[in-house]
Amino acid sequence: MEDVESMVEDEIVLKVEDLYKSYNNVIVLKGISFEVRRGETKIICGPSGSGKSTLLRCINLLTKPDKGMIWLEGEELTTRSININKVRQKIGFVFQEFNLFNHLTALRNVSIGLEVVKKMKREEAYKRAMEVLRKVGLEEHAHKYPAELSGGQKQRVAIARALAMNPSIILYDEPTSALDPQLIGEVLEVMKALAREKVTSIVVTHEMGFAQSVGDEMLFMYDGKIIERGPPEEVIHNPKTEIAKKFFERIQELYGREKR
Amino acid sequence: MVSVVDYVPYILEGVLWTLGLVGGGLLIGFIVGLPSAIAQVYGHRFLKIMVEVYAWFFRSVPLLVLLFLFYWGIFPALGFKLDPLTCSILVLGIRSGAYQSQIFRGAITSVGEGQYIAARTLGMSKMRAIYHIVLPQALRISIPGWANEYAIILKDSAICFTLGVMEILTRTRYVVMATLEPLIPYFIAGALFIVLTYSGTKILNTIYDKLKIPGLIWRM
Repeated sequence: MEDVESMVEDEIVLKVEDLYKSYNNVIVLKGISFEVRRGETKIICGPSGSGKSTLLRCINLLTKPDKGMIWLEGEELTTRSININKVRQKIGFVFQEFNLFNHLTALRNVSIGLEVVKKMKREEAYKRAMEVLRKVGLEEHAHKYPAELSGGQKQRVAIARALAMNPSIILYDEPTSALDPQLIGEVLEVMKALAREKVTSIVVTHEMGFAQSVGDEMLFMYDGKIIERGPPEEVIHNPKTEIAKKFFERIQELYGREKR
Repeated sequence: MVSVVDYVPYILEGVLWTLGLVGGGLLIGFIVGLPSAIAQVYGHRFLKIMVEVYAWFFRSVPLLVLLFLFYWGIFPALGFKLDPLTCSILVLGIRSGAYQSQIFRGAITSVGEGQYIAARTLGMSKMRAIYHIVLPQALRISIPGWANEYAIILKDSAICFTLGVMEILTRTRYVVMATLEPLIPYFIAGALFIVLTYSGTKILNTIYDKLKIPGLIWRM
C-alpha cells in the first residue's frame, strides 16, 4: 500500500522544459525548466518583471510559448494539435484580481464550470459546488453575489471555483497581492489546508511565511531565468546570489518578519 | 368645420405603424448589432475592419439619404420591389444595428477581460465564455443605451413619411391637408411621440432596475 502511495507521490504532473517567450522583442522567459510532482507545492518568487506571471500563463496556454515544451501528466501541451479547452479543465487558475463572474452567486461561480464544461446536471453541480464552498469556509455565503463579498471571501470563492473542477494542478498568480493585509490570512489558511491535502500547485507569491510552511521547493526567478532553487528555507535564508539576497531583505523590510 | 374627434382615431392608428417601424427596426438592429459588437471585440482583424466600415458608413449618412438610396436605388437595382413599410423597417434596422453595435461593444468592453479569461481557464470555449459570462452582463449594461436608442429610432421613424408609410406623421399631414388646420393635429402628433418616448424608456428603465446585480455598481 505504502509503495503504491509513494509511487503516486513521485509521479510527475507537470514538466516544463527550456521555455522561451518574448513580447515585442523583449525576451520575458529565457529557458525555464522544472518539474512538479504529484502533491507538491512549488513556490515561485522574484522581482516584478522577472517573468513569473508569464510563466503561469504559458503553462495553461493563455499565451503561447515561442520555444520549449510543456507536459501535463505525460501529455505534451505545446503541440499544435492540442485541445486547449480540454487541457485547461485540468489546470486550475487563481488570479490576483479574483476575476469572479459578477452576475453569478458564489455557488454558481463555482458550479458553472461543472455545468457548462463538465456537462454535469445542475443539481449535481450545485452539490459539488456546495461541498467545495464548505471546504473554503463559505457555505453560508453561497447565495451572495461577488460584489457582496469581501476581497478575502472573493478569493476563496475563486479558489473553490478552480478546485471544483478537480484539476491536476492549481496555478496561483499572486493570490494575496490585491488583498488588504487583514484579509490575507484567511486566504493563506485555505491554501495551506489544500497544500497539506496534497493538492498539487504552483504558487507565485511574496508570502515567505506561507512559502516556508507548505512550500516543497522554491524557484527564484530573475530576468526570465530561474537563478536559485531549493527548499524554501534554504533559498530564503541562504541565497547564493546577491540578487536573491537583496530581494529577500527587501521583502522582509516590507512584510516584516512575522510568519503568516 | 371638422371636429377633433373625427380625425383623432385616424392619427391614433398611426401609432401601430410607428411601433411597427420602431419594433422592427430595433429587432433587426439587435440581430445585426450584437454579432457585430462581438466580432469587433473578439473577432479577427478582417471581421473587425468590416464591422468598423459598416458602422462608420451607416452612422455618417443621414437617415433620409439612406431611405431614398435604398428605396429608389439599392433595392430596385438588386431586383427587389419592396413596399415602403418593409423598406423603412430594413433601413431603420440596419442603421440602428450600426449604433447598437457600438452600444454593445462598449458594454462588452466594460465587463472586462478578466472574467472572460477566467472562463477560458475553466475550459470554456470562446463562444461559451462569451455566451455564459460576458453577454449576460453586457446585455444588462446595454439597457440604458438601448433605451436611448429606442427614443432615437422612435423619433427618426417620422422621417419615413417621405416614403408614405402610414405612421403618425404621414396621417397627421393628410389631416392637415384636408382640414387646413395645422395647429391641433401637429400638436397631437407631438404629444403621441412624447407619450411613446416616455413610456418606452420607463419600461426599459424598470427592466434595468429589476435586472441589477446585487451590490454591484457599474461604471461605464
